[in-house]
Amino acid sequence: MRIGVFVCRCGTNIAGTVDTQAVAARALASPDVVYATELLYTCSEPGQQEIQNAVLSHRLQGVVVAACSPRMHELTFRRAVEKAGLNRYMLEMANIREHVSWIGQDKAANTEKAVELVRMAVAKVRRNEPLFGSQVPLTKRVMVIGGGVAGIQAALDCADAGLDVVLVEREPTIGGKMAKLDKTFPTIDCSSCILGPKMVDVAQNENITLHTATEVESLSGTIGNFTVTLRKKAVYVDWDACTGCGLCMEKCPSKKHPDGFNEGLATAPAIRIPFPQAIPKKAHIERSACRYFTTGKCRVCQKICPVGAVRFDMEDRQVVENVGAVIVATGYDLFDPAAYGEYGAGRYPDVITGMQFERILSASGPFGGHIRRPSDGREPRDIVFVACVGSRDKSVGRPYCSGVCCMVIAKQAILARDHLPEARCYVFYMDIRAPGKNYDEFVRRAVEEYGVQYIRGRVGKIYPKGDRLVVQGADTLLGAQVEVEADLVVLATGVEPSRGARELAEKLHISADTHGFFMEGHPKLKPVETNTAGIYLAGACQGPKDIPASVAQGSAAAAKVLALFARDSMTTDPQTAHVAEKVCIGCGKCLTVCPFGAIQWKTLRDGTKKAQVLETVCQGCGLCNATCPPKAVQLRHFTDDQILAELEALCA
Amino acid sequence: MNTLQSIVASVWDQVDMVLGWQPGYDPLHPVPAFVRDPKDIASLIWNPLCAPNLSVYLAKSFKAPTRGEKKIGILAKGCDSRSLTALIQEGLVDRNRLLIIGLPCPGTVDPDALTSVRTQSGPITDVSFADGMVQLTATDGVERVPLDQVLARRCQRCRHPHPVLYDVLLEEVVPRPVPKDPFAHVKALENQPLEARKAFWLRELERCLRCYACRNACPLCVCQDQCLAESRTPKWVTQKDTVADKFLFHMIHTLHLAGRCTECGECERVCPMKIPIGLLKEKTAHIAMDLWGYESGTDPAAQPPLLSYDASVNGL
Amino acid sequence: MRDEAVTITNQTESSLRIVGFLCNWCSYGGADTAGVCRFRQPPLLRIIRIPCTGRMDPMFVVKALIQGVDGVLVSGCHPKDCHYAVGNFYARRRLELVGRFLPFIGIDPRRFRYTWVSASEGQRWQQVVTEFSALIAALGPNPGFSAHVR
Repeated sequence: MRIGVFVCRCGTNIAGTVDTQAVAARALASPDVVYATELLYTCSEPGQQEIQNAVLSHRLQGVVVAACSPRMHELTFRRAVEKAGLNRYMLEMANIREHVSWIGQDKAANTEKAVELVRMAVAKVRRNEPLFGSQVPLTKRVMVIGGGVAGIQAALDCADAGLDVVLVEREPTIGGKMAKLDKTFPTIDCSSCILGPKMVDVAQNENITLHTATEVESLSGTIGNFTVTLRKKAVYVDWDACTGCGLCMEKCPSKKHPDGFNEGLATAPAIRIPFPQAIPKKAHIERSACRYFTTGKCRVCQKICPVGAVRFDMEDRQVVENVGAVIVATGYDLFDPAAYGEYGAGRYPDVITGMQFERILSASGPFGGHIRRPSDGREPRDIVFVACVGSRDKSVGRPYCSGVCCMVIAKQAILARDHLPEARCYVFYMDIRAPGKNYDEFVRRAVEEYGVQYIRGRVGKIYPKGDRLVVQGADTLLGAQVEVEADLVVLATGVEPSRGARELAEKLHISADTHGFFMEGHPKLKPVETNTAGIYLAGACQGPKDIPASVAQGSAAAAKVLALFARDSMTTDPQTAHVAEKVCIGCGKCLTVCPFGAIQWKTLRDGTKKAQVLETVCQGCGLCNATCPPKAVQLRHFTDDQILAELEALCA
Repeated sequence: MNTLQSIVASVWDQVDMVLGWQPGYDPLHPVPAFVRDPKDIASLIWNPLCAPNLSVYLAKSFKAPTRGEKKIGILAKGCDSRSLTALIQEGLVDRNRLLIIGLPCPGTVDPDALTSVRTQSGPITDVSFADGMVQLTATDGVERVPLDQVLARRCQRCRHPHPVLYDVLLEEVVPRPVPKDPFAHVKALENQPLEARKAFWLRELERCLRCYACRNACPLCVCQDQCLAESRTPKWVTQKDTVADKFLFHMIHTLHLAGRCTECGECERVCPMKIPIGLLKEKTAHIAMDLWGYESGTDPAAQPPLLSYDASVNGL
Repeated sequence: MRDEAVTITNQTESSLRIVGFLCNWCSYGGADTAGVCRFRQPPLLRIIRIPCTGRMDPMFVVKALIQGVDGVLVSGCHPKDCHYAVGNFYARRRLELVGRFLPFIGIDPRRFRYTWVSASEGQRWQQVVTEFSALIAALGPNPGFSAHVR
C-alpha cells in the first residue's frame, strides 16, 4: 500500500513543542509510507491542495494527517482526499495537538509521542478499507414532541415551508406553560394574546396533524426513517363530535376536584375544557374526579351533550407515525418548594409559588384577576417575593441558575402594584440576572417607578404570626437580619426538566445531563442538535430559558430539519457493523445486545440461522463486535484488526 | 443398573435417541453411547466413572440429534444438568426437545488418583462400587479404596450433585455434603503473592499444546470451527509456540466463558497435560457471584450478566 | 493542577507506555477539552479512539498487558449519558470483571483502570491522566511474559 503522511505545524501551535520535521522524516521508516512532509496550516486551502497533489503524484492509497483532533478536522480532510479521488475512509488522523503539543513542554518527549501516534495511525490506515454509504429515501415528515411555545414555533416554521408536521402533546391542549402566564416580561404583553394566534395557526394549518393527550411510546429506525409509536390516551369524549360548547362543564356535579391548570387554587368539574383558549377546544374527562368512573353513577354529561359526544367506553389506542426527523420540545416543570421546610410551602396557604401567583393575576384565574390571599380571600397589603427557591443551591441538587425568575419577580411585583396601588412589594434576591433586551431597564422600572423594595439576602425562615406571615432573611448590604411581615409570600421556584424527561431520552436514544435537561450536540456550536442524528431540541427541555430564546430555538430546529429535507435522499453513514456469514455461528448474542434492534435473523436455505445487520438502523457503536465470540460481526472502520494494528504499532 | 435401563425403556417412545454412557476401551473409562435402537439400552451403564458431560453433543456441529422429530433423551448428573440449563438460557438448545434423565451423583472418580492410590500394580480387569467404596479387581488381586479419596477435583468442590433440571429422576438420592468453601482452590492461589501466581501460570501454561481438547469438551464453546483462537481474520492470537500465545488462547477461552461457565470441570478433565485450567473459569464464576449474585446454569430463565446490564447510575 | 507537570527525567520512565481506549463522544472530547485548556499532562499516554466503550472487548485489555504495555486506561461517557444509550452499561460489567480477574493470572490490577469522563470535563481528564501516569511510573515497566506476541 502507498501511504502519505502530512505533519501539520499549525503555525506554532504544534511546531512550538513538537519537532514536526523529525516526525515527518521518521514517518518514512514505517513500511508502506512512500511520502512524508510537514505543512504550515494543513487545513487551509493551500494545505489541502498539497495533500491532493501528493495523492495524485505519488499515487497514494492512504493518507495520515498528523495535526489537530479528528473531532475538529476529520471531515475537512476526508472531503479533501475525496476530491483527489481517494475514498474518504482511507484517511486517518493522529492527534498531535490537543493530545500532545498543547499538554506538555518537553519537546523531545512530545516528538517521540507524535512519532508513535503517527505510526499507530499508519498501522490503522493500512488496514482501512474503502467504504461507501448508500442512498436511502427520506420520509419528509417531522414530528414535534411538545406543544409549548418552542414546539409550536418549530411546527409552524416547518409547516409553512411545506413539510408535513405531526405535533404530539401529552396534555389535552397545546400551549404549555406560556398559556398559564398572565403577562410576559419585559413588554407586559398578555401571554395568551400573543400565544393564542399561534395556537390557532397550528389548529388551522393543513400541514400539521395535531395529537394531544398523546405520548410517545417508542421510537425505532434512524435519521430519515423513524417509526414512532404513539399512545393516544382515552379522553372519554369523541372529539370529532364535540363542539366545545361547554354545557357539560356547567352541569357536571363533581365540582370539588382541584384544577391543575390553576395550580390547585381552584376546582374544576370532572369533564372540562382546560381553559377558554384551549386548542383543541374540546372537553375531556378527568377519570379520578368523575363520579361515573369512581362510583358508577352519574352520566349527566352524556345525557346533556347536544351531540352525544361523551363516550365512557373509550380506550387508549396506538398510532404509528413514520417521520424523517424529530424535534423535542418538551419544556419544563417547576421545582417543588416543599423541599425547603423552613419556607412552609404546602403548610401555609399564603406561601405560594410564582406560577400560582401567575394564575391569581390572570383574569381567567381562580379569583378573576383580583389578587387575593388563598387563605381568607383578603387583598394582601404586603407581598414578599423570594428569589432562587430551588436554584443556585447545591443542597437541594439544583446548582444552576434558572435564568428567568429575576425577570418574573420584577414583572409580578410591577403587576401587583398595578392591581393594588396600596400594596407594598419586597423582593429577597441574591443577584439580578437581566441579560436580555430591555431586561435590566425593566427591573430598574420596578425599583424606581413602582417602588418595589429589593433586599439583597437569602430568606432563612417563614413563620406565621396571627393571620399574617413573617419572612426572616438577611440584608447583606445593611449587614443585618431583617424581618418583613407579609400577607402573601411568593416563592420563585426554579426550572427543572419536564416530568418524564429521562424516560423519553432513553426512548429516543438521546442523552440527558445530570439534571435531566437534554444534551445538545455541542454546548456552543450545536445548541439545537443532539448526538443522535435526526433528533433536534428546542426550548426549555435543553436548559432553562425565556420565551424569546425558546422561540428562537424552535425556529432554529425547524431550520435544521428543513436543511435535512432539502434533498430527496440521504447518504447513510457506512461506519456500520457487518456480519461475515460463514463465520457466524447463529448464537444470537449480537441480537440480544444491540441497543437499536439493528440486527435480525436471516434463515439460510438449509434452515440454519445467521445474524444480519440492518445497515440503515445500525448506529455504529460496536457492541455487537465486542460481544460476538467468533468475531463474525465487525464494525466497519473500527474492526478488531484495525484496533489491534494500532495496539501492535504501539508495542513495536 | 436395572433401574436405569427400565427408566430409559419407559421413555423410549418419546425419544429418537438417548445419550448415555457404555463400557469403554478399559474398565476405568466408560465412553459416550448414542442409543438409537432399543436393544442397545442394555449397554447403558451409570457409575462414578461416567465422567464425560454428554450435553457437549447438543449445540455443536453434531446435527444428528436435532434432526429427528421426537425428543432427545440425555442422562445428566448435577453438573451436566447445569450445562443443559446454561444452554437453554442462551437459546442454544430447545428445552422442549429434551428429555432429561436426572442422576443424583456421588461424585466421579479421577482415574489418575485411583491409579496412584491403589497398592496393587497389575492391570485392572473390573471396577465396581458399593457402600462408598471402589472395588478394583486386578490380575494380582482385589482391592477396595474409599470413593472420597479418589474424587476428581471438580467433584470435591461440587455444589450441585443433585440435578437442577430434569424430567425423570433415577430413584436413588445420594446425600453429598456441601463443600465448606467451594472456591478454596481459587483462594489458595490468590493467597500467594502476585509474582508467584504469574510464575504458576507461566509454568502450567508452558505445557499447553493448543490441542483444544478443553475447548472441544466444553458444552458452552459452540464456535467450533470458527473459534477465534484459530482465526486469521481477525488475528487475535498467532500459532507461534510461545507461552504468551498460549496464555492469550486461554484468556480468550476464559473470558468468553465468563458469566456462562457452569464449572462442570470437563476442560480440566480432558487436558492431556493435566493443566488446572478449571481454576481460571472458577475465578470468573466467583467474580460473577460476587458482583451479581449470579450462578450460571441454575435458572433456565436467567440472563447471563455480561449479556445484560444495570441501568442505574451507580449500579454494575 | 495547571502548573504541575510530571517531569520525565528518568530514562526508564520515559519509555513507559500507557494505552488509552477512549470513546469518541465523551472521553475523547474530554481529552480534547483538556488540550484546548492547555492542562499539562505527562506524555506517557497513547490514545486509541473507539466509537463507544461498548466496543471494548475485555480481551483488548488483556492483550495489551500481555504484549507489554505498561498501563491500560479505558474511558467513556458517564453511565446514563452514553451516546448509544447503553454501551457503557455493558462495558462497566465487562471491564469490572476483567479488572478483578487480572490479579488471578499474576498481572498487577493497578495497571488497568476504567473511568467515565465527559466531553466538558477537561480538568478531570488531566487529573485522571496525571494520577494514572504517576502510578504507572511508580510501578515501573510491565514485567510482561517471556515472549512478546507479534
